[in-house]
Amino acid sequence: MTRSFEPPALPEPFEAPFVQLLHELLARGLSPASRRDEHHRARRSQLGQSGTFVGHRRYAHGDDLRRLDWAAYARTGVLFVKQLAEDERRTATLLLDLSPRMCLGAPQRRLAALRLAAVVGGLALRQLDGVQVLAPGAKALTVAAYSGAGDLVELLRHLARLPVAAATEQEVLATCEPRMGTGHVHWISDFARPDAAVRVLRALRRRGLGVTGWLPAIAEDERFAARGFVDVADPLTGQTLALPIDAGLVAAIEKELLRTRQRQDRVFTECGARLLRWPAPAADDLRRSAYEPILAACAP
Amino acid sequence: MNFLDAYRLWWLLLVPVLVWLAQPPKPRVVTWTPHFDAVERALAARRLRPPRRSNLRLLLLLGACGAAVAAYGGLGVPAVPGPQRLVVLLDASASMSADDGAADDGAADAVTAAAPRRSRWQDATAQLRTTLAAVPEHVEVTVLRCGGDLLRRHGAFARQVRDLGEPGGAAAVDFVALAAQLPDDVAVCTVTDGQGQTSLPTRGALRVVGGAADNAAVLDVQLDDGWPLPELVAAIDLVAFTARAAEVQVRIDGDAVEPVAQAVTLQPTLPQRLTVPLARRAAGGALRVTVSLPGDPLAADDVWSCVLPPLPAPTIAVLADPEGGPYANVAAEALAAEVSGRVVAATDDATAGLLLVDGGQIELRPGIQRALCFGTRLAGRAAGEVLLEPRVTDWDRRDPLVADLDLSGLRVLVALPETLPDGAPFLFGAAPGGEPVPLAVVAGGGERCSLHFAFRLADSNLPLLPAFPQLLRRAFVRAYGTGASATAVRPALPAGEQDLRQPAAAPDRPLPPFGVPRRSWRGVCLWLALALLALRAWCR
Repeated sequence: MTRSFEPPALPEPFEAPFVQLLHELLARGLSPASRRDEHHRARRSQLGQSGTFVGHRRYAHGDDLRRLDWAAYARTGVLFVKQLAEDERRTATLLLDLSPRMCLGAPQRRLAALRLAAVVGGLALRQLDGVQVLAPGAKALTVAAYSGAGDLVELLRHLARLPVAAATEQEVLATCEPRMGTGHVHWISDFARPDAAVRVLRALRRRGLGVTGWLPAIAEDERFAARGFVDVADPLTGQTLALPIDAGLVAAIEKELLRTRQRQDRVFTECGARLLRWPAPAADDLRRSAYEPILAACAP
Repeated sequence: MNFLDAYRLWWLLLVPVLVWLAQPPKPRVVTWTPHFDAVERALAARRLRPPRRSNLRLLLLLGACGAAVAAYGGLGVPAVPGPQRLVVLLDASASMSADDGAADDGAADAVTAAAPRRSRWQDATAQLRTTLAAVPEHVEVTVLRCGGDLLRRHGAFARQVRDLGEPGGAAAVDFVALAAQLPDDVAVCTVTDGQGQTSLPTRGALRVVGGAADNAAVLDVQLDDGWPLPELVAAIDLVAFTARAAEVQVRIDGDAVEPVAQAVTLQPTLPQRLTVPLARRAAGGALRVTVSLPGDPLAADDVWSCVLPPLPAPTIAVLADPEGGPYANVAAEALAAEVSGRVVAATDDATAGLLLVDGGQIELRPGIQRALCFGTRLAGRAAGEVLLEPRVTDWDRRDPLVADLDLSGLRVLVALPETLPDGAPFLFGAAPGGEPVPLAVVAGGGERCSLHFAFRLADSNLPLLPAFPQLLRRAFVRAYGTGASATAVRPALPAGEQDLRQPAAAPDRPLPPFGVPRRSWRGVCLWLALALLALRAWCR
């Protein structure tokens, strides 16, 4: 049995208080207290497909075979990949998940995702040359590019207009691959199906792009709140299950949720990317401390 | 396969209602979750299935409902019309003991000679067992043995054709009439050799065993036993059922007589008496009369046999009243001379074949001890009233003891009728007042008896009568009763079982197709419904 999913009303994501907070965050800039490992991680993510040779690293599964150093292999018998520092990496890419699943949660994950995209995009506009917004499934709004701090308003307006749209793995790949040049990719999603992200992550890695997965975490990622005889419905497909949910079943579901989180971590680790879980603040929670983890993660 | 009460299948319309009622209520709360996949994996891990989506449970419920309605509708296999009972009329008359293989002995080759020969009865029962083995189990089988003793066997005993005895006796049953009397829904199977039947049943299955053959038979044998004289004459009635006059061999042998063989030419179907004098042996034993005809399959009527007892020792003891005169001793001497016996002393340890007592008193058990008493008072019995000059009125002319004897001249001076023991009187007198009184009785029977006269020999003119010696010899024989007579051990076959030349014949017919009762699957359907419900309760 299926049901049609009506997304709940989304609060205005970029109200004036948030915009004011956003400006404060951007004015403050990246935290000078960035740790060395964050610097190394950011540097590693900036290693690209072309540029100046900076060294070798061990070959890992998914690396572009064209970058193998066969001479080093002949000398040592070990596979090494040549690392190049790009000459120009002044852009960032925001890859947004607009699926109906993102509309669930308290607070809504979509609201947190849009505000997260605004912060990351604002930082890119302020510190880099530009930002590219990819929203697979959004039809005319699938691709948008902005440059300069002056485009922040347009960026926010674009984000606010993005619809609720489901996109398959193939659609995500078809959207990303032709538009990926250099720079860093910030993929904002719930990654509810970690295995579906593997192909995308590997494709981006083959291009030498650094990827950061952003997961706005909500309470439903760890707890299953429903009890009694309920219809459990999937917002993506509309499929429903009439289940008598008891404590045993809740325990089993939460065990599966834990496995999902572990699987998410494993997938990103295997693909050489990083996954950041950002606790989604409530819609009216505009404390600076709630958003500072984003700045810390984006610090070079 | 059909339904006995097909209209009850309307209840199947309730199945959708039951299915609808079996469904749990729809949940009123809808929970949208971003982790639907995790929920499904949790269900799979716990092997749970949403109750409203359990196709297996729904199918089990539908199956149980369908099976229950099918049982209510009387699902089953329809009956096949036809008889469901079989009555076998098995001819067990004497002619069924004929061994047709014996008639072919002359032409038998080595193979058939090596094979065990079987009589018509054995053939019939063997074929009947084979036939009944193919009869469906639901058919009720009854076997009627017709001929001799009428026996009926039912069920397993009937199917195995057991406990029916051996053939013998006359075929006193008209198979045609008997088969016609059976109800129409009963299948009939007649197994016979056609002997003694004018026609064979046209109804039901038929199996005819044997065929036409020549036969010679010993119809009867009469022995004229001259005992206590040694003469023995056998009068043998023979008959031959052949197409032409046939020469048969008659042989008389056994332990009781010296063997005699004689060839006799018999005319077809005409009984012929053959008288053969024999010499009887004192030791007794079997006496067998056998007639032989080449190609005779029926051996049962070819032999007549009897058993002759050993000849009793003709010893006579005498106890005579001294006042009774010499009659007793003279009579004993005369009797001993006639039967080639001897007179022995009447002592306690003497073993006498006959005790002859004249007058006096004696301890004697009448009917137990062989004795011939004349006016003797038995111990413990009063002499009673003396009857003077009773008139002899008559004697039992049918009793072999005194038949054909002339006792009309018998005169009795003094009689003591009350000294007679209980027995069968054979000599009657009348008191002076005209009242009838017995003058002689026979006590006992069988192999031992005693004869008692109510008067002494001296008180009558019996010793002077010409019939007296014959009476003495008959009394001696009568005292031994059946102990000295021959006992036939193999009587002749009944008439109609011996002429094997023209038995009733008809081609064999197989058993008709039997009907099959309706097989109901109600029980199976009910059990299936219960099993499906139990399985549904077990399934989650």
